[in-house]
Amino acid sequence: MTATTFDEERAPRDLGKILETAGVYAALSLLALQTIYPLLWVLFGSLKTKGGMMNNIWGPPRSLELSNYSEAWRIAGMGDRILNSLTVTALALVVLVVVATPCAYALARLRFRGRAIVLAVIVGAMLVPPQVMAIPLFVVAAKLKMVNSLFGISIIYAATSLPLSVFILRSFFLTLPTELEDAARVDGASRLDILVKVMLPLARPGMALVTIFAFIEIWNDFFLAFLLLRQPAVQTIPLGLVAFFQQYDSLWNLYFAALMMTTLPVILIFVLMQRQFIAGITAGATKG
Amino acid sequence: MARSGPEQANEDAWQPSRLSRLIESDGFAAAVMILPATLLLGTFFLWPFFYGVWLSMTNWDGFSQPAFIGLRNFTRLWSDRIFLGALENNVIFVFWVVILKNVLGLAVGLLLQRAGVGRAFFRASIFLPVTMSFVAVGLLWSWIYNPIFGLLNAVLDFTGMSGLKLSWLGDANVALYSVIAVDVWKWLGFHSVIYLAGLQALPTEVYDSARIDGASAWHRFRYITVPLMMPVIFINTILAFSGAFVRNFDIVYVLTKGGPNHATEVVLTDMMNRAFSDGAIGYAAAMGYVLFLIVVVLSVGLLMLMRRWRLEV
Repeated sequence: MTATTFDEERAPRDLGKILETAGVYAALSLLALQTIYPLLWVLFGSLKTKGGMMNNIWGPPRSLELSNYSEAWRIAGMGDRILNSLTVTALALVVLVVVATPCAYALARLRFRGRAIVLAVIVGAMLVPPQVMAIPLFVVAAKLKMVNSLFGISIIYAATSLPLSVFILRSFFLTLPTELEDAARVDGASRLDILVKVMLPLARPGMALVTIFAFIEIWNDFFLAFLLLRQPAVQTIPLGLVAFFQQYDSLWNLYFAALMMTTLPVILIFVLMQRQFIAGITAGATKG
Repeated sequence: MARSGPEQANEDAWQPSRLSRLIESDGFAAAVMILPATLLLGTFFLWPFFYGVWLSMTNWDGFSQPAFIGLRNFTRLWSDRIFLGALENNVIFVFWVVILKNVLGLAVGLLLQRAGVGRAFFRASIFLPVTMSFVAVGLLWSWIYNPIFGLLNAVLDFTGMSGLKLSWLGDANVALYSVIAVDVWKWLGFHSVIYLAGLQALPTEVYDSARIDGASAWHRFRYITVPLMMPVIFINTILAFSGAFVRNFDIVYVLTKGGPNHATEVVLTDMMNRAFSDGAIGYAAAMGYVLFLIVVVLSVGLLMLMRRWRLEV
């Protein structure tokens, strides 16, 4: 008797739970669909013929037009754009890590005069977005002959990514134990020795995090590139894509192919490294 | 003599030891370590920032000699209809983006928390647009919004809602909201992931005892989740807020270039137009600083508001 009432009471609750779970998964599937399907749509479109879109907007292509990719590569000048983007991003990241790491270490561990001022400037630079001072930045870059220069924009990318990177690295150094450093100092190592030989290997995860964030930022950047790279020869991928789109907006299949070629590598990197990505974001946000 | 011996030795050792002590001192090491960063920040942050303050008080056109005109650029902005319209659009943009990213982000975070199996897959797929560039996202959506072969109108046809079909970016009444939707789409995964992390860090015991006391799901959400999540809500609001004010140039430029008829113009697109199409460098620089001041004032206001709310909770 008691057992049946118990079951009767339990049954609707179980049903409710099943319905709830089904609802959760239905909603999540819809959410996943609205991010994944548009990308699949671009992939499908990039493999269709020029007329194929009109009578088949939705579905997969009936035949694979792989020539779209070679055609898009040629017309959009993808080779040069990719080379420009790679050069700029690599140079900027090297400068960024080489400059930000020692600065962050000094701010985390050393006591020196002017420390408060350096920290204040870094926090200030974090709070003033480069966009609002785009016009004077352009004029300064022009004075330094850094407009239309891949080297120039790399240095400027390193500078605009610097404040946040120093901040992240500094909080990373603060979490490392001081015992190793103390031991090295007793053995007579200088501060620079300690930074290079003791701290750098330990700081690798923090440096990886900073590099990943700055990579996405710089590789995807449109605003500063638009501001500072005003000749086709030095254009990076985002500028080239926009130019291609505005010039040949009827060649949508080639255009989808170009979009796919530039988006896919970043998505692949993300899929391979998503654990680090998401851990980095949540750590940065919940600690800050 | 017996005393001067060691002193003499000290005298000899004095110079090298002083030099090496200087090199080994923290101050010297720190100077070497922060010098490159100081140079970069000085050249590309402090110099343009203060130079720009001066520029914004000149009538410079980019070629002739700049002349100081005081605050005349700023007073002129108050009667510039296009600028005021852009400012209004900017505020509408920020308002909706902050609300939608937080409400939807928390909702998706709650959904992800409930999904035991497949959580990593759903989280990754919702996060996908965050990794795409604004340009790729903008170009993708300009095709989704395309009135002829766009995906959105095709979906509406397919689901029998053809009456809702619109020229999403061509109609001045809806274009701004179409742009807002794209920005929310791009960043939703970012905020959801932060909300999910916050939810996962909540203590489960509180929920168990509330359930035993018979608190309904809504009451548990309203009186446990929301108060405990206040710090996370705070972080998400600040992130969405600061991003939305100044990171809207790319998406607006790619989708509409500020059109139709300035319906989606924001301060940054207006600023770039004035500077590079009209050559009004001084005037455009002033726009940047007005935007900056508004962001500062609103951020401080938001911080104070948040602090008060947190105290009440």
